[in-house]
Amino acid sequence: MERIEELTNQIVNQFAELGYEINRDEVIKRLKLLLYEFKVPEGEAVRTVRNWIIKEYGIPREKVIEAPLVKIKDITKSGKWVSLKARVVQIWDSSSPSVSQVGLVGDETGMIKFVIWAKSGKNQVEEGKCYLFKNVVTDSFQGRMQINVGRTSDIIEIDEEIPLPPREIEVIGSLVAIQQNSGLIQRCEHCHRVMTKGICPIHGKVRGYDDLRIKGVLDDGDNIYEIILNEDNIKELTGIDLEKAKQIASERLDRNAVLSELKKMILGRYFKVAGVRGGRYLLVEKVEKISGVNADDVDNLLEVLA
Amino acid sequence: MNAIRRREVARRAFAYEINRSTYRFPREDEKSPAYVLTPLGIRVNRVFMVGALLDKEEIKPDSGIWRIRVSDPTSAVYGYVGRFQPDALESLMEIDVPELVAIVGKVRTFEVGARIFVSLRPENISPVESYVRDYWVYETAKHTIERIKAMERKDDEDVKLAWQIYNPNLDEYRAIVKQALLSLKGTVVEGGEEEEEIQEFEEKFEFEEEEWDLSDILRE
Repeated sequence: MERIEELTNQIVNQFAELGYEINRDEVIKRLKLLLYEFKVPEGEAVRTVRNWIIKEYGIPREKVIEAPLVKIKDITKSGKWVSLKARVVQIWDSSSPSVSQVGLVGDETGMIKFVIWAKSGKNQVEEGKCYLFKNVVTDSFQGRMQINVGRTSDIIEIDEEIPLPPREIEVIGSLVAIQQNSGLIQRCEHCHRVMTKGICPIHGKVRGYDDLRIKGVLDDGDNIYEIILNEDNIKELTGIDLEKAKQIASERLDRNAVLSELKKMILGRYFKVAGVRGGRYLLVEKVEKISGVNADDVDNLLEVLA
Repeated sequence: MNAIRRREVARRAFAYEINRSTYRFPREDEKSPAYVLTPLGIRVNRVFMVGALLDKEEIKPDSGIWRIRVSDPTSAVYGYVGRFQPDALESLMEIDVPELVAIVGKVRTFEVGARIFVSLRPENISPVESYVRDYWVYETAKHTIERIKAMERKDDEDVKLAWQIYNPNLDEYRAIVKQALLSLKGTVVEGGEEEEEIQEFEEKFEFEEEEWDLSDILRE
């Protein structure tokens, strides 16, 4: 009951700020019905009541309050409606057809995962561009915060340069694992997602184009960092570029031969990776192979032991 | 909690420390990762090791289970590779011993009578260049020195447990690290595990393996 009072106050106050006096009892009645009788989730109930008020009182759409503009570091609770200005840092592969896009956005305070649901019908965002994400819902998934872009959300490209957090780090670690969907892969010509056996998770059986990439785990003995190496990185480290990879695949009549070749050259080796940490990924800006140890470093350690 | 478990970090420890990591933490449940405690007080599930693959031998003809012996500058450690480690098995088949390899794997313990043996269960094995070994020795020395310092501070729960269970002689570990570092400077390493120990390991294992459930060390 207290919760109902609280939600009612929230709703009534929000409309009061816009200059509308709302009948409290009516709001309580509707919330009770939705929450207790119909067992609708709170967010849905509030939204339904709000929509009813907007219609009932003839409030112009543009006057309706938007979710407050927040910074990413302030997103700590799930189930909140927020808006944020952010830069799309990376778009990940999504294997779920209910997801239109998933990836990472950042502002100067941090980075957060975003999910644009297919049902939202929103336009696709592009890596590197800045957007106003309006009326998105915060959520927690596997212990991490994310924002969900749904039907009632808006994504508006903005002409602003949103800076990213200065979280550039440098890690020296061993490449201890190379994950699925690495090597010579195929991407969907429509959405650039990685295709499995010629099937795009969204567009089904479509034409794909070849690409070279490695998804791997860099481990420095204290932490793990998931990294993605693109064609340029791979070429620099192994001398194998896309053309060479295609040649290997056709000579051996096996696309997987490319991954085997790459593994032989980089698995278990040490690399120095500079990049920005975002979510579970270390976004690679520079990568170089460690090929030896400095004699001075060894002497320094020996001195510690002396 | 439906959270996906975070991937375990591959710790860096010399074979000398790994071989003495006989204390196994009780598992919280069936699916929780298995950890051993090393004498220098860290919990280990996965390790990354670079060393010389000295032997590979199928424990019984057509068993599909291979015993390997890998040595770093401090000692040799045993490992078992079977069909549950397809990547490791595939590369193992292509390697002629001796060969310098990098191994990512889990640490497993098994009991034979009153003795507890430690072994590795590799996930992947890659032949590597000698500079990878050099960097590994340096890096592992650094990590081991950090652990020795933590043992001196005695402020961590696992460290306290290690004192209680192993009561290690830290000087012994300092000497091991030094020996490993000196090997990078072109010094030939003397010593190593006693021949008797190796024999005992192999004999005990062969004696027991008939009735022994190998899935214990070969599976997750």
